Amino acid sequence: MRQFTLAALILLAASFLLAADKPVATLQLPCESRYQDLSPSGNQLAVHCKGGALHLLELPGGVEQRVFPPDQHSHTTVYSQDGNWLAFGFEDGTVEVVSANGNGAPKRWKPSSRRIDVLNFFPDSKSIVVGPLGSSAEVWDIAGAPTLRAQLPFAFGGLSDSAISPDGKVLVLAGDDTVLRWYDTVSWKLLKQNKDFLLETFSVSFTPDGKQVVAGGADSRISVLDATTAKLLRQTPPEPAAYVGGLLVAGNRVASLYYDAAGEKPPHVLIWELAAFNSPPTANTRLLSCGNRVHDKLWVCYTDGQTLTVSQYE
Amino acid sequence: MKLNRRELLERCAVFGALTLASSISFPTLAEAWDEAEKKKQPTPFCELGPFYKREAPHTSTLRAPGDAGMPLTVAGVVYNTRGEVVPDAKLEIWQTDNAGHYDIEGYRYRALLMPGAKASYSIDSVMPGHYPSRVCQHTHYLATAPGHKPLITQLYFATDPVFEGDPAKNYTRDPLITSIELVRPVVIKGAPGQIMAAVNFDLVMETL
Repeated sequence: MRQFTLAALILLAASFLLAADKPVATLQLPCESRYQDLSPSGNQLAVHCKGGALHLLELPGGVEQRVFPPDQHSHTTVYSQDGNWLAFGFEDGTVEVVSANGNGAPKRWKPSSRRIDVLNFFPDSKSIVVGPLGSSAEVWDIAGAPTLRAQLPFAFGGLSDSAISPDGKVLVLAGDDTVLRWYDTVSWKLLKQNKDFLLETFSVSFTPDGKQVVAGGADSRISVLDATTAKLLRQTPPEPAAYVGGLLVAGNRVASLYYDAAGEKPPHVLIWELAAFNSPPTANTRLLSCGNRVHDKLWVCYTDGQTLTVSQYE
Repeated sequence: MKLNRRELLERCAVFGALTLASSISFPTLAEAWDEAEKKKQPTPFCELGPFYKREAPHTSTLRAPGDAGMPLTVAGVVYNTRGEVVPDAKLEIWQTDNAGHYDIEGYRYRALLMPGAKASYSIDSVMPGHYPSRVCQHTHYLATAPGHKPLITQLYFATDPVFEGDPAKNYTRDPLITSIELVRPVVIKGAPGQIMAAVNFDLVMETL
């Protein structure tokens, strides 16, 4: 299930092209690529090639900086929030953290024998959340040699997604067991739990001010929770016969990607105002290939053949 | 004459077919041997999937009258790796209907079972359908019990057309099938017009 997180972020970002989008860069891709990872710093693009290779391109120029061969193809890829690091999660349970600009030796270790489904850097890039398939979530200190800081179990199953508060003090885990758990990132004490969900949450995120947590999953709703009390504040109506595969919070909006539960229809995107869910959402079905929050703005990219355009949504 | 384990060991020792490496007695050795052979391998893990739903109804009847699809019964026993039954196990079972749809809003084809003292269970269902994002027909299981690791797995059916009659060769066509052990033989029973499929699927849980 965790596979669609990456695709989710890519697709949902498409919605933001509805209104004013300002081109940031136009470049030629080095290969056929259906999706890319956009660095939160806005100065790099990780291009996943159809053949399995990964190319790092500088933005806005498109100059190639590094190439990872196909045999290093990872299951999960994520940038650190400062854009300086790139983490890969592999099928065999290995994690590798490399410098995005190629400086320094990579850090590679094997926290699990199972596929790595979830990776999430802390804001200071000194720690990373690792979610092996069907296993406890782990937090690793990566400032030096990788060291296990915490192992956070679920009633059963593994980690679906995680969110870290902007100040790095609170970690929210969404588990296969449908429970959302709040942890203190110093003591690793369980602060709060939310057991309102009968179905699994697939995507969870703090709002930029850290006051709320936004969640979406198999119940096909977007839920807003108070970040302090973990209590549910409001929810969108359910989207019929669909589930939320990913969401992205930008400014006062949340964009949500809905997958057809039967897998028969293409995914679609709705954009909701975070403050109130009673206004109709904006819909868009345009398919883009990446997206991220860059300098508090939403950046998205779309491809036309091997030409890629990166735009900033105003 | 059929010898019991102790008699067999003693006879082997007399004829030089067995050498004891320690001073263990034959009755103790026979008991240990019996115990060792009762050990079972844990049921292979197979991922939970996205459509697990808490608070499924207590029922063993998932199939409603008139439901489309080949009627299916699945039965089995919940063991631990020592070969003992797990009397306080709790089983949650869910699958698609015959058209390949999970019920997300409600609880069709979802069940919670408490197998009880004999740790045996049985469900009355239909053969699950195929759907675009999965290769093979399957039924999900979550088994929990005090003192045991939760077991998450999936049952597959040897008659699935994807296997083309040879699941041992073709089970890897579904990348989520972690072991051929999860692909179970199907017995077709009943008279023409009233046939049904029957599958045995025992579960083996690991102790904590």
